[in-house]
Amino acid sequence: MIIREATIQDLPGIMAIEASCFINDAWSEEVMLSELQAPHTFYVVTVIDSEIVGYGGLSKLGQSKQADIQTIAVALDQRGKGIGKAIMKALTAKAVELGASEIFLEVRADNQVAQKLYEVFGFKKIGIRKKYYQPDGVDAFVMQTNLVRKEPLVLGIESSCDETGIGIVRGNTLLANVISSSMDKHAIFGGVVPEVAARAHLEALNPVLNEALDKAQVSLDEIDAIAVTNGPGLAGALMVGIGAAKALAVATGKPLYAVNHLVGHVAADILANGKVETPTIALLVSGGHTSLLLVRDLLSDVTLLGETIDDAAGEAFDKVARVLGLSYPGGPEIDKAALGGNPNAIRFPRGLSLPKDMAEHRYDFSFSGLKTAVARHVELAEINNEEINIADVAASFREAVVDVLITKAISACKEHGVNRLLLGGGVVANARLREVATERCAVEGIELRIPPFSLCTDNGAMIAVLGAQLISAGALPSDLDFSADSTLDVRKVQS
Amino acid sequence: MKTLAIDTSLGTSVAVLNDDQLLAELNFADNMSHAERIGDAIKDCLAKAKLKPVGIDRVVIGLGPGPFTGLRVGIAAAKFFAIGANAELVGVCSLDAIAYDYFSSGQSGMLLVETDARRKEHFWAVYEGLNQGVPIRLKGPNVAKPELIERTGLTLTDITVTAAALGKIAFHQGPSVIREIEPIYLREPDVSLSKGKKVSG
Repeated sequence: MIIREATIQDLPGIMAIEASCFINDAWSEEVMLSELQAPHTFYVVTVIDSEIVGYGGLSKLGQSKQADIQTIAVALDQRGKGIGKAIMKALTAKAVELGASEIFLEVRADNQVAQKLYEVFGFKKIGIRKKYYQPDGVDAFVMQTNLVRKEPLVLGIESSCDETGIGIVRGNTLLANVISSSMDKHAIFGGVVPEVAARAHLEALNPVLNEALDKAQVSLDEIDAIAVTNGPGLAGALMVGIGAAKALAVATGKPLYAVNHLVGHVAADILANGKVETPTIALLVSGGHTSLLLVRDLLSDVTLLGETIDDAAGEAFDKVARVLGLSYPGGPEIDKAALGGNPNAIRFPRGLSLPKDMAEHRYDFSFSGLKTAVARHVELAEINNEEINIADVAASFREAVVDVLITKAISACKEHGVNRLLLGGGVVANARLREVATERCAVEGIELRIPPFSLCTDNGAMIAVLGAQLISAGALPSDLDFSADSTLDVRKVQS
Repeated sequence: MKTLAIDTSLGTSVAVLNDDQLLAELNFADNMSHAERIGDAIKDCLAKAKLKPVGIDRVVIGLGPGPFTGLRVGIAAAKFFAIGANAELVGVCSLDAIAYDYFSSGQSGMLLVETDARRKEHFWAVYEGLNQGVPIRLKGPNVAKPELIERTGLTLTDITVTAAALGKIAFHQGPSVIREIEPIYLREPDVSLSKGKKVSG
């Protein structure tokens, strides 16, 4: 199904539907033509197999804050396919774009199917025009909806791993970003334990929500919508946030948007930069993810170019830290240990970088072999009673991780003709990663974006701002029955 | 007092009550879809009871014991519903609901309630009737291998936890109702410290 702005060439197709849908009160061809040509109207057609199957029009005069839906029709044999909904979505989005704050329409009192559709978009009956439709003598209901402001106030909930995050944004503006991490509770295990993380989320919910509302200086009543991460991530952890978000939405009557965690990381740059410049390559590196994305449009065109086929980069730091007798989380510990070390002392492997691997895994990562190589190096030294130079091992390991991450990210930029690279995820805290990214991007003439660390690590604000983007683009709320999806596809921005 | 009661310790159960009078309830037996169901279950149950969320004075939540992942969905929902609707939040041991439904149907005597705790263990508690609408729990809740649970009186294993019973119990408990919302896990997270293994032979 394609939906596009109507042209006068569409007139015959439109009139065929007009005549069959509105038996006694169809518009004439002249009226329809003047509607299509008028400067204050916006008409769309829906096309399936190059045939027009539906259309709709919106009218908005000059600086008026009010828009009117002029007409909407779907061919009789094409109903029940969501075509009317798609047209309404396009018209609503256009009304927002044109700066309208409310939309009005008239609907036949006997057309309950249409009334249902309008109710989905928040329209309510506000009046009756008696015998408006002639010659049938049928009443019209006047319906109206308030459009969400272009800067919706959104509360975002994130619980996909070991951070309970609740953020509040107004449009692109950050109002609060509260994070409670259970990192310390995982320290003795050397990695995130899902059950420990899920328990901590449940405990953190109320204090984090209260602190976020307090910091943002807003009440729940004022919030326009709620957004929540529904994947990818740890299922049991995600479900805590989802259960809480659904109940909060029902209790407050606010719309709920289930959004993608990885796309949230990309959206975080909006809070730092006002917008996400597209197209961009995004490299997301954390304890749970190592993903390389091509983002042509934040809401409608995100592609996964590659990801780790075994450990996440952050996980590799944790595991190698344990091999070296360092504590958790491994990233900052290895950074410290690497001080003064020679990054070229030991040539550790760069996973999936050999020509034979590149054929199949051009943009994928693998860190499991690297971790084993470090362990082997340490064990051999022990067997041979040799002193290990921890600084050299840490620096060389870190260099291998950073090298492969940035090399693949930059080739993705070059091979896709994209001149921007955005970093996200907790491993961005690693100083060497930022350093190498900065150096190599400068050499290649690639614009590098690194949001502040509080927005790079998992957080609720990035979820809130992604929700705000969806709302501003006219997206409908999610149905309440969405589930936690631990392997949610990055192409699914909203569930 | 208008009450919303929720339990996800086994299936998903939601009830709306006025004091101890049931106005509406929804029960889903399957024990895998708590996160999917919880939103609509609350919304639909309120609609069935013809109440708006702001009309709810109290949220009663089943604290378990039960499989952890599902149990948490209900408790998380109860916490944020209570904040959103500005209602008080109280908790009841989920096994008490089973005893309540059993004794209030006219049965008497000793009752052992057992539910599946997974990993070849059972959650269990022993009851001996009701005291002014509140189950008298003699032992438990606890977790044990089934062969180690002392069986006295009748054993109930094929059971459902109804949120309706939890709402009624909380009402009858009066001022002694539990206000500290802690899930009854009875088991530490399933994790052990890895000793680390050699990679070179």
